[in-house]
Amino acid sequence: MSEPVISAKSLTKRFGAFTALNGIDLEVYKGEIHALLGDNGAGKSTLIKILSGVHQPTSGGLFVDGKPVLFQSPRDATNAGIGTVYQDLALNPLMSVTRNFFMGRELYTGVRPFGVLRMKEMDEITHAEMTKIGINVSDPAQAVGTMSGGQRQTLAIARAIYFGAKVLILDEPTSALGQKQQMEVLKTMMRVRAYGNIAIIFITHNEVHSKLVADRFTFLALGEVIGKGTKASLASEDIRHLMAGGVAMADLEHELAAI
Amino acid sequence: MSEVLTTAKTPALRTEASRLVQRGRLAKLIRSPEMGAFVVMMVVIIAIAIASKGNAFNPLGLKNNLSIIAQFGIIATGACLLMIAGEFDLSIGSMIGFAGMSMTLMLKWGLPFGLGPATPMSAFFITLIFTLAWGWLIGFIVVRSKLSSFIVTLSFLFFLRGLTEVCFRFINQSTQVSGLPNYKESDWFASMFGGESFHWFYNLWYTLGGNVNQLGNQWVTGFDARVVWWLVLSGIAYFVLMKTQVGSWIFATGDNRESARANGVPVDKVRISLFMLTAFCATIFAACQVFDTNTADAAKGNLKELEAIAIAVVGGTLMTGGFGSILGVMFGAITFGLVANAVFFIPAIDGSYYRVFVGVVLLVAVFLNESVRKRITGGI
Repeated sequence: MSEPVISAKSLTKRFGAFTALNGIDLEVYKGEIHALLGDNGAGKSTLIKILSGVHQPTSGGLFVDGKPVLFQSPRDATNAGIGTVYQDLALNPLMSVTRNFFMGRELYTGVRPFGVLRMKEMDEITHAEMTKIGINVSDPAQAVGTMSGGQRQTLAIARAIYFGAKVLILDEPTSALGQKQQMEVLKTMMRVRAYGNIAIIFITHNEVHSKLVADRFTFLALGEVIGKGTKASLASEDIRHLMAGGVAMADLEHELAAI
Repeated sequence: MSEVLTTAKTPALRTEASRLVQRGRLAKLIRSPEMGAFVVMMVVIIAIAIASKGNAFNPLGLKNNLSIIAQFGIIATGACLLMIAGEFDLSIGSMIGFAGMSMTLMLKWGLPFGLGPATPMSAFFITLIFTLAWGWLIGFIVVRSKLSSFIVTLSFLFFLRGLTEVCFRFINQSTQVSGLPNYKESDWFASMFGGESFHWFYNLWYTLGGNVNQLGNQWVTGFDARVVWWLVLSGIAYFVLMKTQVGSWIFATGDNRESARANGVPVDKVRISLFMLTAFCATIFAACQVFDTNTADAAKGNLKELEAIAIAVVGGTLMTGGFGSILGVMFGAITFGLVANAVFFIPAIDGSYYRVFVGVVLLVAVFLNESVRKRITGGI
């Protein structure tokens, strides 16, 4: 097995007296989809915020390509090749697809910030990148507001990859979408996986989705890793069990019946 | 799970992209955001031309109308860019009063700190430093405090107006300055603001047989210089907004500030700069007024901030930011200017109908803009 592209070793994060993460280990390999599962409050959000530079760990280490890194800001994480696609996607609905794609990183001729936009070139790149990832944007000048949720998700992913992400963190990318659009996003993830050089961290609540696409799983509960493994090593029943935070279904049934 | 996907009866050729209907050039033109403002403008032009029996567009009428149109246009351009970035500036009118006060007091009583007598150029540039500093301060407070710009600029509306009156009384003993030398005759810098422009237009009109007064001589010699300022400012604003990187940042800042920030757009710098731009526009407005009339008083610019916002909205600028059009603002300024001046050409009507008109048009414009926004965002 090659070296993980990003890994965390005994990562701990405390907010005052509250321990959000307690000694998390995580290894993410390129060309793989790594599902990060856990109930609300399990520490998923804190973990991805540390990976994307929003929070700094209290103790423990982060490693990119085996080298220790310290992210002081989201910008540091982006520069290290970690692209985070948040649930709100950081898209502007009234602006065109192209202007969103290049937002804050426009191509221009002349002196910043009054440089003249190279609109045609940006349109072409946007169209090409979106097509590559499986969505044919007929008009790059169309407003993002007219796109479906799945298309927006894809736009945000294509943008992160184009600007150099080697690790993509997708925060519940399927949660707010309809069935068909969810499949759209899963297909997009599989296409990115097929590039072979990009790792995806897939945060989800959805057991079915994670089993459809993920190569490797990490389960969190109450700030700790309660299970991990490859798709092959985990039986379906384990996944369900671990997703419920380690509580056996039988116990749940028992408790429910007692009420 | 896989059977579900394969048995889906969606024809392979139909994708999400094909749900967006492609429209022709004409249809795109009709649905463009400026269209509403354009239609209103044309209706007003035709109505006023008929009601004034053409007097509103004779040589003198055209000059007087364009003069007020340019005034409106100059401040509305700044207000529009700021609104696209998602902020308001209610201090524009008071800033006009402040700038007029500052320039005329310097011209009458000399430069501050005993630096000797002022020239129109030194009075203008020192005033510009003051107003840009106010603009920066307003922007800085809005950005740092995260308060709504509505409240911050409302406080500056009162603050600057009061300060203007206090300065007038303290230095000048009276809240108005009049009887300044007619600088525009002697000073090229003053004539850039208070003089005339487009002489060739009226010369050509005279050569072609029109533009003749009762004595048989050439009647009107040129438009006010502020028309040039309006056209130049609008041209630059259009170019910057539509074609440059900072234009993209202005849209992004107003559309969704947090997402713009997350993508590396310097949203705070954009907003502070635009508050400085509205202060700049107010200063240009004041300079045109001061060097045209050689007077100033403490009430100058009153309510202009609301007219600027109204024109921006009628021109298709969204109250919520993220969308707007300089061309629409030009149409809006023409509409407002013509109606504000209509009473001079149509003596039968009451001048207060101007505000009745503004109220009605504004409300209609807001409804129209809302439908534009829904159309762009697909009803979200």
